Amino acid sequence: MSPPDEKVPISEEEINLVVNGDLYEVRVKSNWTLQYVLHNELGLTGTKELCNEGACGACAVILDGRPVLSCMTLAIECDGKTIETIEGIARANHPLIEAYVKYSAMQCGYCTPGFVVTAKALLDRNPKPTEEEVGEALVGNLCRCGTYPRHTIAVLEAASNLPRR
Amino acid sequence: MANDEMSKMQELFDNLRADKYPLEEYNSVGKRGVHRLDGHEKASGAAKYTIDVQLPGMLYARFFTSPYPHAEIKSMDTSKAEALPGVRAILRYDDPELPPEADLGGHEPSSEPVLPRVAHFQGQEVGAIVAADSEEIAEQALKLIDIEWEERPFVLDPEAALEPGAPLADPESHPEGNLYGQLTAVEEHGDVEKGFAEADKIIEFKLRQGLNTWIGPERPCGVFRWNGEYPEVWVKQQRPHICKRVIASWFGGIPMNRIQIHCLYQGASFGGWSQVEWNMGGHYCAAVLAKRTGRPVKWIFNRREDFYGGEMDEGVYYFKVGAKLDGTITAVKGRAVFPNQQWPVFGFVRHFHENTGVPNIYGKTEAVKINKGPTVPVRCEQNSNCHSLTLVFNHVADALGLNPVEVALKNDGADGHDMTWLNSRKAEMGFLLRDSLKECIEKGKAAIGWDKKWHAPGTKRLANGKMHGLGFTWTHEWDDSAGSSEMAIRIERNDGTATILGCRADVGVNAETAYCQVAADELGMRLEDVHYRPQIDAGFFAMTPDSSTNMSVNGFAIRNAARLLKQKILEAATSPRAATQLGSAPPAFPGKKPEELDIKESVIYEKANPSNRKTLTEFVGYAGAMGPIGSLRGEPMPSGEKGVRFPFTWPLFAHAWQLQVGAYSGARLRLCRQAHFMEVEVDTETGEVDVVRVVTVNDVGRVINWEGCEGQQYGGAYMGVGRGRSEEVVYDPATGVMLNGNLLNYKVPTMLDVGRIDTILVESGMGYGPYGVVGIGEDVATVIPALIGPAVHNAIGKWVDDFPITPDKVLKALGRA
Repeated sequence: MSPPDEKVPISEEEINLVVNGDLYEVRVKSNWTLQYVLHNELGLTGTKELCNEGACGACAVILDGRPVLSCMTLAIECDGKTIETIEGIARANHPLIEAYVKYSAMQCGYCTPGFVVTAKALLDRNPKPTEEEVGEALVGNLCRCGTYPRHTIAVLEAASNLPRR
Repeated sequence: MANDEMSKMQELFDNLRADKYPLEEYNSVGKRGVHRLDGHEKASGAAKYTIDVQLPGMLYARFFTSPYPHAEIKSMDTSKAEALPGVRAILRYDDPELPPEADLGGHEPSSEPVLPRVAHFQGQEVGAIVAADSEEIAEQALKLIDIEWEERPFVLDPEAALEPGAPLADPESHPEGNLYGQLTAVEEHGDVEKGFAEADKIIEFKLRQGLNTWIGPERPCGVFRWNGEYPEVWVKQQRPHICKRVIASWFGGIPMNRIQIHCLYQGASFGGWSQVEWNMGGHYCAAVLAKRTGRPVKWIFNRREDFYGGEMDEGVYYFKVGAKLDGTITAVKGRAVFPNQQWPVFGFVRHFHENTGVPNIYGKTEAVKINKGPTVPVRCEQNSNCHSLTLVFNHVADALGLNPVEVALKNDGADGHDMTWLNSRKAEMGFLLRDSLKECIEKGKAAIGWDKKWHAPGTKRLANGKMHGLGFTWTHEWDDSAGSSEMAIRIERNDGTATILGCRADVGVNAETAYCQVAADELGMRLEDVHYRPQIDAGFFAMTPDSSTNMSVNGFAIRNAARLLKQKILEAATSPRAATQLGSAPPAFPGKKPEELDIKESVIYEKANPSNRKTLTEFVGYAGAMGPIGSLRGEPMPSGEKGVRFPFTWPLFAHAWQLQVGAYSGARLRLCRQAHFMEVEVDTETGEVDVVRVVTVNDVGRVINWEGCEGQQYGGAYMGVGRGRSEEVVYDPATGVMLNGNLLNYKVPTMLDVGRIDTILVESGMGYGPYGVVGIGEDVATVIPALIGPAVHNAIGKWVDDFPITPDKVLKALGRA
């Protein structure tokens, strides 16, 4: 049960992350998750840890354009990559934020950023999703307060308010 | 407080009757589309939770947890853990500075070992807590602790725990046996044997409810820092004032006014975690560790550790019911065995008494100890009552071949009396004679298409091959409303906006916005001019959403404060201003009396001459270098030889409170009702139950905040379906170890796990709260779980009285397992 007495060294490495357009040089241990680095090292506390095993979506971030679960991603593998977190989405005034407020698509709010990030990734690849497609995109996000019905409405409205590309 | 203020507040306290003080006009109360005050903060990820707190030099503390369901520590060696680099302190159960027991939270003062030597359930925090530079190092150190255990026999099943010769689950606190007498209760009304004799039919059944739990998105955690000799504490707790009282009892006593509490947003635990009687144990240990290391300490559970403990409806229930052929229930007799309840039991047949005309009721609750975690009210303590009401009514309807909706209407009443009696009580109390249940039922039936879809059990197979089922249940609304509250409002200098001062214990029900709606309408202000300023300290006690009572108590406090404040504003507007050593200036409304003025849209105006007006901003004026109420700028006025003076109004602040005992004490009858409908499709090959539609109808008396009420309805429906269908904390009977303490194997509903949910609100005005409100936050998630039972029965024609209704149980009922 107990590990051996001798110290098992955990390697450390300096990595570069471009988070919400800002470059960060971070010294990370090889076993640190991206969620831990964003939340604890960079202070981007909107990226929440909930289940810590890829079951809930609360820690979702957009990595090189794809939504990933940052609790299941090692930071050391993200060297040189581009990451978008909830803070960046809010800073860019994405219409999702206003739609979420308008439709009260949150209660305790702990899981809300993960939903917004997942929805942002959906709208990036599919700016005109159907109700079913929104459901499929968000089915991996857990909300214990049960706010689900409002997310679909908010995401569809945000889609209709996306700036033209 | 001046006598006239006191009398004005006390006249508002008469909430044994219909509200005598409605407003003539509502602008913010009941308005749709009011933005949540916390909406942007939460949507943008800016909202901060206790788990997000990082302080300079902060250490992380993790508890050792028991690998065994029942075992004692014979000896412990922490030397290897202490030698691990990054470990700063380890607190052990045998530390001389630890008291044998301390008050560690829960509802009422408790007395618990801080770091127990004996574990009474697998996963219990025992023996040691490690503070280290990181959570990871603390975790590593825990693995280096060597413990010599003495394992003890254990028992997990509540009925097995009652058998002769069963192992004692907790000989430390209950050496006499697993049945603990002080929590065994009997509810009795009338004579059940007489009721059975009068019945045409006797129905008997057994119900089993498995253990489900809260699943707090934010793990239990907290931060303790000593600023010199004064504690500063961050709590994830729904009743921060209890935390403060508890901390004040530690270390020989700390004056309340030296303790600073921060209660940030909370990843909700639905009352659950906040009621566990050891929930301040982490803070006690963190306080000792912080003192020894001179550093702030954050203690934190891991995800699995949040699963220990759960809802207090776990147990086995036996019912015997007598009914006449027309559906009149003549007697309900029950016996239930509930394990590990930390609260005084609330009974499980209470709703028959509060809510029906059933004249003969007997319920015996036996509370037993088993080797699992504590059970507490999760969402509500009335789950067991709702299961009882739902299943008794539906079993009766089934046995008599009646429509369950008709059986409900036939038995609606209170205290063993029928609706005629209840209506005369309503009239005496000044309420309108609305038939709440009938209104709820009619709206719900129309929404789900009840009359068209209702069919005999097990008779409707759909084109997709699945069996179709409909279910219905009902009960009263939650107007228990016991509690007290203090709140205050002040008018800001410079712009005349209003700031509400009160405690924060946010779990997402949008209470703070609702307080602003009440204050805005009472003050005559625009909603955007009113804001809620949560106090970082728990100085203003209030019924937090956790404490079962929010608007129905706090709504009075905020309304009382707003009315007192409005009176002060109008008095100030008609009184001389700038009263100083130099004399005074004329009133803002010279020659007028307060009653000649009013406030609307944040403007003070003369009722007889609305063009005589001043905005609140103009009225309070600019505050400058002379302090908060004085200025050298603004509206100058000549003052003869003494130079120029400047008008200002006196500070505008009002503090108010509310205290009420509520319906728990039997002081009031319950008048508002709720009705819920569910449509399911059952796959008879796999046993899976699809909940394709839920219609939830709540008579909330009056809606203050629509989005908030509806959120509790659809949110409660999701949680309720989870509890009734898929959620159970499973223990291995051979080892006593929890098997599914994670979110992969404990099945919380996802977005697509429940079909369409219709939310319907009825406003009968028959609540005792301000404007006639009752509560809604607890009830839907509490009533819905058992509704799956009758819906499945209607689909397959067999009863599955074993919750959650998982596919294996459906197949067993169908004789296919």
